[in-house]
Amino acid sequence: MENQQTPNTSSSLDNFFNIAFDESTRSQVRKAAQWARIGALCTFISYGVSLIVTFFNSYASISSIIGAIISVGIGVWINYYLYHFATSAAKGMDAMDSIKTNEGFNSLRVYFKIFGIILIIALCFVALIIPFALLRGI
Amino acid sequence: MENNQQDSFLQMHLDYDGGNILRETVRWSRFLSIVGIIALALCLLVFALAGSAILAAFSRLAPGLEGMENLGGAIIIVAVLIGVSIAGFIVYMLYRFSVLTRKGIEHQDQTLFAEGMKCLKIYFLASGILAVLSLLSNLLSLTKLF
Repeated sequence: MENQQTPNTSSSLDNFFNIAFDESTRSQVRKAAQWARIGALCTFISYGVSLIVTFFNSYASISSIIGAIISVGIGVWINYYLYHFATSAAKGMDAMDSIKTNEGFNSLRVYFKIFGIILIIALCFVALIIPFALLRGI
Repeated sequence: MENNQQDSFLQMHLDYDGGNILRETVRWSRFLSIVGIIALALCLLVFALAGSAILAAFSRLAPGLEGMENLGGAIIIVAVLIGVSIAGFIVYMLYRFSVLTRKGIEHQDQTLFAEGMKCLKIYFLASGILAVLSLLSNLLSLTKLF
């Protein structure tokens, strides 16, 4: 019985080993990481600029400043993972280091996961607001 | 034969942890892309049904947009279509990345996996360009402030 179970386990483990990061795949991941880093850095600077614009805007209320700080904080938190993906994946591809590569893709997983969770929360808000808006319209 | 074996030893292989991480990454990216496609389709639908009402509401909110009515609806429609098609392209690339990478891992297909990574590169390239443009517009607003 034990012998019968072993091949199933090994075949499911072997699935991943047949996929290789060959030269062209490594080049694609490297370029993806390069653009992800550009995007993350531009977004970090954009957040800084938008904070400055909010602080120095004479019409800005306290609530809008607090809103800007919260949204910039969340944005920086998310983009940190994108930046970490960019640096780790690029290092992993250059050094052919699977641990660094896994770290990079794990950051990409967290980045997409946080985006997904925020999207779910936003959709819930929209689903709550629409009936109220319709009722007020009637 | 020996060369092939040497090549496969020189290559970095996707290990068990990496495969699991990529599978979950792909699951979330597929969710994001599907929601993005639905949201874009809804945006188009809303604009098609209530385009004139939306434009009137915008011109009331922002006085600078009042002149937009004189430019004609055609320019606004073209602008919306360009925006939606750019966003649609980015979301479609994310969807292709998730589908191709998942299939590549499940069917142990190197070509599909490489195609998936290519789509990830295009996705980050397009979003990187958008981020640069957004930074430029933010800097423009900063120069207007001072």
